[in-house]
Order: sequence, then C-alpha cells, then structure tokens
Amino acid sequence: MKRPVLTLYCLLVYAFLLAPILVVVGASFNAGNFLTFPPQGLSLRWYVTFFHNDVFMRAIRTSLWVAAVATVISGTIGTMAALYYVQHAGRWKETVRVAMLAPLLLPEVLTAIALLFFVYAIGIGTTTMIGMVAGHVLITLPFVFINVSASLESFDPSWDMAARSLGADRLTRFRRIMLPLIKPGVIGGALFAFIISFDTFTISFMLKGIGTSTLPIQLFDYLRTNFTPEAAAVSTVSIVLTLVVVIVSEKVLGLRIHRF
Amino acid sequence: MRAARRKGLGPLVLIAPAAVLLGIFLILPYLNIVVMSFRMPGQGTPYGPGFTTGNYTKFFADSFYLHQVANTLWIGLLTTAICLVVGFPVAWQLARGTMRFRALAYGLVLSPLLVGIVIRSYGWTILLGNAGLINRTLTGMGLIDRPLPLMYNALGIVIALVHVFLPFMILPIMAGIQGVDPSLESAARSLGASRFTAFRRIVLPLCTPGIQAGCILVFVLSLSAYVTPSLIGGLRVKTMAVTVVDALIDTFQWPWGSALALMLSVTGALCVVIFARLTRMKWKVARP
Repeated sequence: MKRPVLTLYCLLVYAFLLAPILVVVGASFNAGNFLTFPPQGLSLRWYVTFFHNDVFMRAIRTSLWVAAVATVISGTIGTMAALYYVQHAGRWKETVRVAMLAPLLLPEVLTAIALLFFVYAIGIGTTTMIGMVAGHVLITLPFVFINVSASLESFDPSWDMAARSLGADRLTRFRRIMLPLIKPGVIGGALFAFIISFDTFTISFMLKGIGTSTLPIQLFDYLRTNFTPEAAAVSTVSIVLTLVVVIVSEKVLGLRIHRF
Repeated sequence: MRAARRKGLGPLVLIAPAAVLLGIFLILPYLNIVVMSFRMPGQGTPYGPGFTTGNYTKFFADSFYLHQVANTLWIGLLTTAICLVVGFPVAWQLARGTMRFRALAYGLVLSPLLVGIVIRSYGWTILLGNAGLINRTLTGMGLIDRPLPLMYNALGIVIALVHVFLPFMILPIMAGIQGVDPSLESAARSLGASRFTAFRRIVLPLCTPGIQAGCILVFVLSLSAYVTPSLIGGLRVKTMAVTVVDALIDTFQWPWGSALALMLSVTGALCVVIFARLTRMKWKVARP
C-alpha cells in the first residue's frame, strides 16, 4: 500500500456504500416487533410472515413477469438497433445514439407522468399492463443498446467481406460472425435490463393499475405506514434474487457488463 | 437499382422497431404533456375544455413553488458537489491504483446499483432515524443527550442521495482517468512540475469530460428523484419531484402537474447547459 491515506479514504467510502444495504439485511433477522437497536434476538419469523403475505408474493410475481417481458422486448429491439447503429447508420450515427439513449437522459419522473397521460389519452388507461410494460421497455432499452454496441466496437467490416468472398450467404455470415461477437453484449444487456426493470420505481408507481403493484411499489407503500422488520425481510429476498441472477450469469456465461 | 433498394430498405428493418417504440411511447407522450400543461383545470375531471397559460403564470406568481424549485436545485447541487469530492479519489484509486483487490473494489462501487432505490432509501431511514442506528449508538456511548436531527430534513436527503448516485459519479470519472496516459504526468514531473501542478495542468483538463458527465448525470438524477426525498424527507421537506407526483396522485390536477413537471425539467436542463458552458470556458483558460 503506497498511499495509506488514499487507501483509508477509499475504504471509508466503500463502507459508506455498503452500510445501508448491510443494515437492511441485518434488520431482517430482528426478532422484535419493531426495528429496534440492539435487536431483540435473532429470528427468521419475518421471513415466514413475508412468505405468507399474499400481497407481497403477488407483487414479486408481477415484478418478475414485467421484468421478463420487458427484457425480451427491449433485448430484441435494442440488439437490432445496435446492429443498425454499428453497421448501417452512416451519417445518422449520432442521431441514432442520442435517440436510443434519450430515455436515460430524460428525467424519469417526467417520462412516467407523460406516459400516464398518454395511456389515458389513447383510451387504454392503466387497466391493461401495456403502459407499464412500455415504460419498462423504454427505460431498459438504453442499457441493451449500450452493451450490444460496445461488444461490436472491435467489429471489422472486412471480416464480413472475407466471409462473403468465400461464398457465405447472409444468414451464415450473421450466425458465424455477428452472433458470437454480440452474444456477451446481448446477455449482459438483457441481464442489466432485467435488474433495472425489477428495481425501477417511478415508472411503475405512475403506471400501476389495480392489483398490478410491483415489489418496489408494494414495499414503498408498506414503509409509509409500517415499521416492522418484515420490510427488511422483503428487501433481503429481493437483494438475494438479484445477486443470484448476477452470479449465475457471471459463472455460467462469463459475461462482462458495460454500463456506460 | 435492385441492389440500391436492398441496401436502403434492408437495414432499416433493424432500426424500425426502436423508431416506432420511441415515436409512440416517448415522443408522442412528451408532445401530449406539453399540450396538457396549457389546458384549463377541470372541475371534477382531470382537465377542462379550452387552453390557457394560467398554469405557468400561477407557477411564477406563487413564491411557494419558486422557493421549492430553489430548494430542489440546492439539494441537487449539494449532492453533486459532495459526490464529486467523495467520488474523485475513489475513481482515481480504481483507475490508477496497483491494488490486488481491484475487482472487489469495482464490485463494491457497482453493488449499490444492483439494489433497488426503495431498499437503499429504507436502509438510510434505519440508519438516520431518531431511534435509528446512528442516534442509538451515539446516545448509548453518552456522546449526545438528544437524537441528532438526521432525518426529515435536507441533510438526510442529501446523505441518502449521495449514496444512491455516487456510482454514477465514480464510473465516468474512472473511465476518464483511465484514458489519460500516465506517461504524460511523468513527462510533466520530469520537466520540473510539482505533483500538484502536473495534476492540475495535465490530468484534470484531460479527464474533464468524465467529470462533466458524472456531474450532469448525478445532478439530473437527483432533481427527478422521488423515492429518497419522499421516504427521508417525510412530509416536512418536499422536493419538486415529490410535490409534482403527489399533486397528480392525490388531486388529479393534470394540467397543473404537467406545468410543474415541465418547469422542473426545463430548469434542470438550463442548469446543465450553464454548467457545460462554464466548465468548458474555465478549462480553456486553464490550458496554456
């Protein structure tokens, strides 16, 4: 360690980053009726309460469903757009990039409100899940786009040309050249899309219908009126779910995630 | 001619779905919300017939809302500045440090992004509350008699926002520093520049784009943050985003809510433009 002051400073920042997350996980094992310090013994009772709470279980199912649908749609659309951006955009390159990143650059709160008014303006309202899924696709699209186009950064058009001159047809060229190149980007982008969608709040909050609350919404509602450690148990399960998804994809697929 | 047509239309199929999606679910809603902000307030309906500029004059006439915008901007600025000061050394160490545990450190910086914003804000309420971990520990140690006011005020909101958005500051700055060739610094040092001068004249100007990107990202995100100010600020301190969302959810005043949301976003965008102008000018002057 060459610079002890810098190292110590960084360790403090890492502690700061982890503190609230560790506190939530710790609080979920509190045996008491309220979040008290020091905890009144250790217990898994709040996990049991949570698993028997229909409202939360339904919210988890909704969250997983919306995240899965949004990931498939934005994974497909985003990958296609990234292929266009890298290979064919030409002088429109910058326009395509800005347009694809727009949902990330615009304030999410404004996008959510605009979408809410729009689904009412076209007459579908929040009785269907169309508005919510569209919102989730919108905010996850930039992450797929970033990841896939980053994985194509090293793409050299002469590879495609070489394959063509050797007689490979369009489909073969895509399957043998493009697909292996973009695969890690697509998986990384889809993974990020899933996590972003699973955790996002504002879009779901504005566009939720009756009985279609996602887990973050249900948790937020619960936190406004309740102070039991059940919320901590819900949070911990949510964190573990995300971690499992990340670790499994890292071990199985060996991917790299580009966030920027 | 057939070849030209294939070249023109074929690739467009790739971009068409994204264009349709963004057109229908982003551009149309944004046009709609601008129109909505000029509609008449409704009586028992979300909006009435006819158009007016009244929503905007109401905004500028009422010092309560101007005050609240100023308050929101102040919280955003403070969050951005603290993120920069806290995050820069970490970004530096991640980019340049010869640590054995760099992968772990990088994972630590990324980890908050994998945990939902509601959960992270909840963690801060456990830490900062009057009966929270920090106050209990301090009273237990006999350092304070009464709990410190850490929650339900701007201080608590800023602490939690810094935590929520710090990775967005660290990552672009880290990328910026990684782009600066360390030999440039060594060259400056060998020509007699002090470590500080080499940093100020060489490294800082070169990684400015990263710093700018980080600052803009954190500032914009903290202006439109809803969950954190709502959970930490409670009813006592409200930022603009909280007021807007609550106005829409509780009272259904669509035109008024639209005008408020647009004013907040336009103010934020103006700040970003001013910031970009100022920093670019300053760095130009700093260069020899």
